[in-house]
Amino acid sequence: MRLPAILAAILSLTLFTISGDGYGQPGEKPATGDWLLLHSLSDPEQLNPLTSSDASASEILGFIVETLTVLDPRSLEHKPLIAESRPEISKDKRAYTFKIRRDVRFQDGRPLTGEDVLFSIKAIKCPLVDAPFLRVYYDSIVDAELLDPYTIRFTTKEPYFLNESVLGEISVLPRHHYDPENLLKNVGVRDLLHEPGKLPDNVKRFAENFNENYHRKPLGTGPYKFNGWKTGQEIQLVRDPNYWGTGKAGIDQPHLDRLRFRVVNNPDAALIQLKSGDLDSMDLTPIQAVRGTGSDRFKRQFEKYEYYGPSYTYIGWNNDHPIFRDKRVRQAMTYFTNREQMVKTILFGLGRVVDGPIYFSRPEYDKELYSHPYDPKKALAILGEAGWKDTDGDGVLDKTIDGKKVPLRFEIKVNSGNDVRKSVALVLQNELNKRGVAASVREVDWTIFLDDVKNHKFDAVILGWSMSVSEGDNYQLWHSSQAANKGSNHVSYKNARVDKILEDYRREFDPKKRAEMSKELQRIINEEQPYTFLFSRKAVTAVERRFRGVEVLAVGLRPLEWWVPLSQQKYGAKRTAN
Amino acid sequence: MAAYLLQRLILFIPTFIGITLICFLVVRLAPGDPAELMAAGGLKGASGAGISLQKRSVVDQALAEWRALYGLDKPLHVQYLVWLKNLSQVDFGNSFKDRRPVWEKIRERLPVTIKLNFFSILLVYFVAIPLGIYSATHANSFGDRITTFAAFVLFSVPLIWAATMAIVFICGGDFLYLFPPGGLTSIDYGPEWPLWERIKDQTWHLFLPVVLLSYAGFAGLSRYMRSSMLEVLRQDFVQVARAKGLSERVVILKHALRNSLIPQVTILAEILPGLIGGSVIIETVFSIPGLGQLGYEAVLARDYPIVLALLTVSALLTLIGILLSDILLAVVDPRIAFGRRGQ
Repeated sequence: MRLPAILAAILSLTLFTISGDGYGQPGEKPATGDWLLLHSLSDPEQLNPLTSSDASASEILGFIVETLTVLDPRSLEHKPLIAESRPEISKDKRAYTFKIRRDVRFQDGRPLTGEDVLFSIKAIKCPLVDAPFLRVYYDSIVDAELLDPYTIRFTTKEPYFLNESVLGEISVLPRHHYDPENLLKNVGVRDLLHEPGKLPDNVKRFAENFNENYHRKPLGTGPYKFNGWKTGQEIQLVRDPNYWGTGKAGIDQPHLDRLRFRVVNNPDAALIQLKSGDLDSMDLTPIQAVRGTGSDRFKRQFEKYEYYGPSYTYIGWNNDHPIFRDKRVRQAMTYFTNREQMVKTILFGLGRVVDGPIYFSRPEYDKELYSHPYDPKKALAILGEAGWKDTDGDGVLDKTIDGKKVPLRFEIKVNSGNDVRKSVALVLQNELNKRGVAASVREVDWTIFLDDVKNHKFDAVILGWSMSVSEGDNYQLWHSSQAANKGSNHVSYKNARVDKILEDYRREFDPKKRAEMSKELQRIINEEQPYTFLFSRKAVTAVERRFRGVEVLAVGLRPLEWWVPLSQQKYGAKRTAN
Repeated sequence: MAAYLLQRLILFIPTFIGITLICFLVVRLAPGDPAELMAAGGLKGASGAGISLQKRSVVDQALAEWRALYGLDKPLHVQYLVWLKNLSQVDFGNSFKDRRPVWEKIRERLPVTIKLNFFSILLVYFVAIPLGIYSATHANSFGDRITTFAAFVLFSVPLIWAATMAIVFICGGDFLYLFPPGGLTSIDYGPEWPLWERIKDQTWHLFLPVVLLSYAGFAGLSRYMRSSMLEVLRQDFVQVARAKGLSERVVILKHALRNSLIPQVTILAEILPGLIGGSVIIETVFSIPGLGQLGYEAVLARDYPIVLALLTVSALLTLIGILLSDILLAVVDPRIAFGRRGQ
């Protein structure tokens, strides 16, 4: 379970609770048994909780490996899981002390102690472990020690409001499984902060073993055990009958006997498999959601659930570009963009317009934010104000910048293979060309596209960010320092006031004050339009109707809570036996 | 013959190194950066809503660490030499994606691809050769024209379209359910099934992919067969055989057929490398975990070790295929005598 849930944090999303009988009848008690056949578009890379980094691995590992604290899917607050309670934070906000439950067992029956938690953080911090992209989040941790066998204290470099969730999200791994020779026993977290070359041999041996030998044998304390992986076909998990949390208050109780993640890399084939019973649930593409899933037969068999994922699509204007340096041009571009229409026609209505970088269901989101309407007249007026006129009668606006006559001509870059982004670019291009703006569209292969984006080699670019339902840190995106060194501020946005807010934000522990700061940030960005914010897309998932307890939460659907009434169970105990 | 073989085998080495060098350069000089892809959250950002903001907080140091781990920070020629040295020990390295040995990943998928291609080649030959013979012996008849026409129609139907249509209309969904829409086995398939049931289930799953993989081959091969057969039929020895009073059946199937198969032997050279990744589309549409799928995904993810390994193996198989077909030619065609030319 990687950071997806750091990601998942504090806020309440507008929940699109579903009509239909997903909840089951009143008084119906969850039954145990049956299987769930889930769709996966591709194999996860690997199932090592630290070194795998793709979304499908995080999803699967989320059933197998547990963390100190978890994000409650309803309150969106952190609640204890392996820890007895949320950590005690020292006065200087640098030390976090977690007490660990004494009744937790790994899936092989061995008890979990503080040793395992300490081992887990050492494995993350070990510079030789193939997890550099995970390690970045734990950069602020400088030490960890056991105060007693069930109490661990972490020390961090500096106060940072996300530290608690980062620490709580540590996947707790069984030391005896991942380090059978106990090679890290006498190594402290501090000892690991050296140059990789200077580390002792036992650390090197540990890292080699850890990197090479645990791709396909995850072990944790979670409710489901890993039960086999047929490459390119499926990954199977079975419910752990000895799960430590069984019957305990406040711990999610699993009901389904098996979870089978079936790999079908072609969405059309997957839909057919769903209809013919080889899958119980799958995410529909927008076109599938509106066509091919409307028949009575389909509706009898499946319920469609719609929900927003925390992400948005935007057009990034290169703020260093002579044309887009002027915020009035960027504003005009947004007025030229018919975002409502794009949601209707390009997304088939499965989405909503967004106006800023904060997920609209979070409390720090500014509901009063100005939403730029589609208004080409106003856009032209703003361009005129900014000095853009067609002086030579060639049909393209121009302006003298730094003594040179510059036509209003630029290129919108999109990555090939993404039809939504391409359609947005084409619609906008058509609009602009009618209004005296010579825009062209270029499709580039994804990897080249990424390269161009991080090297600022573009005029305008269409891209998306996926966020978390938890509170995020916008420093990466908007701080001027992040425009250099291939940082995420690839549009080179620079604003002194924004810089100040972002710096203070990281050290502010009062959520209310952070919300205020965030709102100011949103207002400035909305006014300056470094991006034209486009929309947030809706996901649609079809689920077979025999499942109960299906609910749309801020974090999406949660199969862990699903169950099937005995009378409707499809895969019986007889088959489960094999 | 032995001297010729030895000479050919020695020539193998520089040819092979030349091929791998070109492959290495093509793969490595193509734009794209696997480290950046990992950091950006992979390819999902390309199709989905966006790339992960969390992932982008990755600092350059993490990228550098990752590159160092895989030796990508070294100059290209050093990387090539290291790769070549590992190759000489039959070590293809580890995949970037999951660090598993490349060979293990290939071996896992090889049987599926071989099965698929083997049956499809068999099917192509079984259909195309009789078809070609029929066309040649009934040249320009109505039947000849119809079969030729049909073969060319099939040849020009795009595979991806045919496969998608097949899935939609005859693999469940809202229409007929004659074949499974993908995968290799049924949901509850397991080793405890009786052997016969397992064979039946696998055949049921492979049938449609094999047919789809084959239909385009009918046209090419049957045309080759038709023209080489026609040429042989015009030759004197066929007239002689007929004149001796042999039945038409014996003349064609015994005397003419053997000689007209000679050109088909050269086509064998293409079949071996075709076994590797000749089925990208079918494997992708039907979610069959074969080498085509592996290679396709590896190219997208810039998983260099996998791409290079597949290219190397198919280069090797091409060389072996050419050699084999040369040898076979010598066996079936007495006019070809290696090593004694000019004597």
